[in-house]
Amino acid sequence: MKGKPDRPSPLDADHAAFIQGGVSVIVASRDADFIADVVRGCGCRVSRDRRQVTVLVEPSRAGTLLTDIAANGRVAVVFSQPSTHRTIQLKGSDASIVKVTPSDRAIAVRHLAAWKEELSSIGYTPDFAGALRGPAEHLAAIRFTPSAAYQQTPGPGAGQRLAT
Amino acid sequence: MPLSPRHLRPCFEGAVPAVIATCARDGTPNVSYISEVHYVDAQHVALSFQFFSKTRQNVLENPRATVVVVHPDTGKQYKLAVSYLRTEDSGPLFECMRAKLAGIASHAGMTGVFELRGSDVYRVESVSEVYGTALEAPPAPEVDVTTLRACMARLSGAIDLASLIDALLEVLEDPIGIVHAMVLMYDPVGERLYTVASRGYAESGVGAELRLGEGLIGTAAQARIPIRISHATSEFGYGRAMREDAESHGVTAGLEERIPFPGLPESQSQIAVPILAGPRLLGVLFAESEATGRFGYDEEDGFMVLASHVGAVASLLEDEAVAVPGEDAQPRGASSAPQGSPLRVRRYVENDSIFVGEDYLIKGVAGAILWRLLRAHLEDGRSEHSNRELRLDPAIRLPDLSENLEARLILLQRRLEERCPELQIEKTGRGRFRFNVRRPVQLAEIPR
Repeated sequence: MKGKPDRPSPLDADHAAFIQGGVSVIVASRDADFIADVVRGCGCRVSRDRRQVTVLVEPSRAGTLLTDIAANGRVAVVFSQPSTHRTIQLKGSDASIVKVTPSDRAIAVRHLAAWKEELSSIGYTPDFAGALRGPAEHLAAIRFTPSAAYQQTPGPGAGQRLAT
Repeated sequence: MPLSPRHLRPCFEGAVPAVIATCARDGTPNVSYISEVHYVDAQHVALSFQFFSKTRQNVLENPRATVVVVHPDTGKQYKLAVSYLRTEDSGPLFECMRAKLAGIASHAGMTGVFELRGSDVYRVESVSEVYGTALEAPPAPEVDVTTLRACMARLSGAIDLASLIDALLEVLEDPIGIVHAMVLMYDPVGERLYTVASRGYAESGVGAELRLGEGLIGTAAQARIPIRISHATSEFGYGRAMREDAESHGVTAGLEERIPFPGLPESQSQIAVPILAGPRLLGVLFAESEATGRFGYDEEDGFMVLASHVGAVASLLEDEAVAVPGEDAQPRGASSAPQGSPLRVRRYVENDSIFVGEDYLIKGVAGAILWRLLRAHLEDGRSEHSNRELRLDPAIRLPDLSENLEARLILLQRRLEERCPELQIEKTGRGRFRFNVRRPVQLAEIPR
């Protein structure tokens, strides 16, 4: 199920703003034995037409994730705002590792600040927020076309496709 | 030594949600939050199953998954390679997780949304640290082996059940540092728990009752497992609901008045552990705190060690009390003659509830014992009594010998101390006591 360029993005402008904010970014893929690996990401960028999403991760934390993505392109990313529990999951099957740009680095810096602010609103210290997300000294960028988007906020609507 | 779930127990308190990554049969990965990861043993964890989700569908198809948990103090992350084994939708593990999830839901503002459908048990294949900078770790837990050893020595020195229970509450306060605690004993016939001792509350609440299965304490008793929560929750609360209940009942049809349950109004952390003698439930030890997250896995272990020691010592003391050669107490005059205006004491035959003047005092077995003591005082002028004679008296309706008479006497003695200084029970030796009556009494029975 490769993402097709002519298919409309499952994300609207509100979703795009949400996933680029101070939310947790959790990225998963799987290996050849169908065992999933997962890493906490350091930020996200959505293309202007909202058809491409790039998530940033720290390679030293990523386990086999980058190799897995390079091998099979499968990715699932969950974005969640701790203060509201609002949660969205995106899936893609054309993920690839792309070059990290200076603007990606700026996004990671902004994400850390927004993340610290978000967690402080529910009582966590900036140090804890920083330890949890990681310093992002080195970055890797994973780009994919979201082929499906799901609402995952806990409650009766969890698991449904996003309405756009 | 490789890392095991044993080393990660603080990560399983639910302070920071964990994450699980799974993979469908067609190779599509999925990632999702989990509200509760529960430590089962060094090789197993259990995950809360709350919703019929993609995660659930995936693990049923493909049991291998990856879980990431976060240390709530250091922010350090750990990755667990796990394999799904089974789901439990009742029993001890389920009850324990259900209570904890209620606390987590309350903390997260998700009461009513988070509901446990099952406990998904996973085998942990391996544990690894995720690279990152950890914050400083908190100090070691207060309940260490050395402290426990000292506490157990003090408990072993108890001469009877009353001193054992008092010693338990004392060691909790010092050296362990837990100031709000209570001990409830179990009535297997009425399937109720009644408070026999407490510390740290404005009102002792001695005599206050809970049904088996009611609230955190009743659930711990029913499932015979330790249960704790780290954040206040109405679902497992006892305080407000019980108080409102008591207020709305008032004096119920003249038969009995509920003794208000003691408790902290701003309680955040609570723990209840069963006191067992072998398979037999003797009671429950309960403690609470206004601090969140006060009782962790280490405290739970410590409480369980103390409670099991109390259970064993209590059971030994019981055996001794029965085995002591039971010379029946000889009739003897009361130590001093009662003085003053007569005290009106009423007994409602239906449930043995006793009122002194207009005030409810006690009911049930303890009520029947008091009535017997009062009649012996009036009819024979007797004040010396033995546990044995009470045990053998059909009027007291002790269901059988395993019924904890000693606990009933403690309850009665303490209620009298608190509510009726004119009538007092004084221990005179093992299995013996004196019933002191300081005012003349007038007895009246209210038939069914």
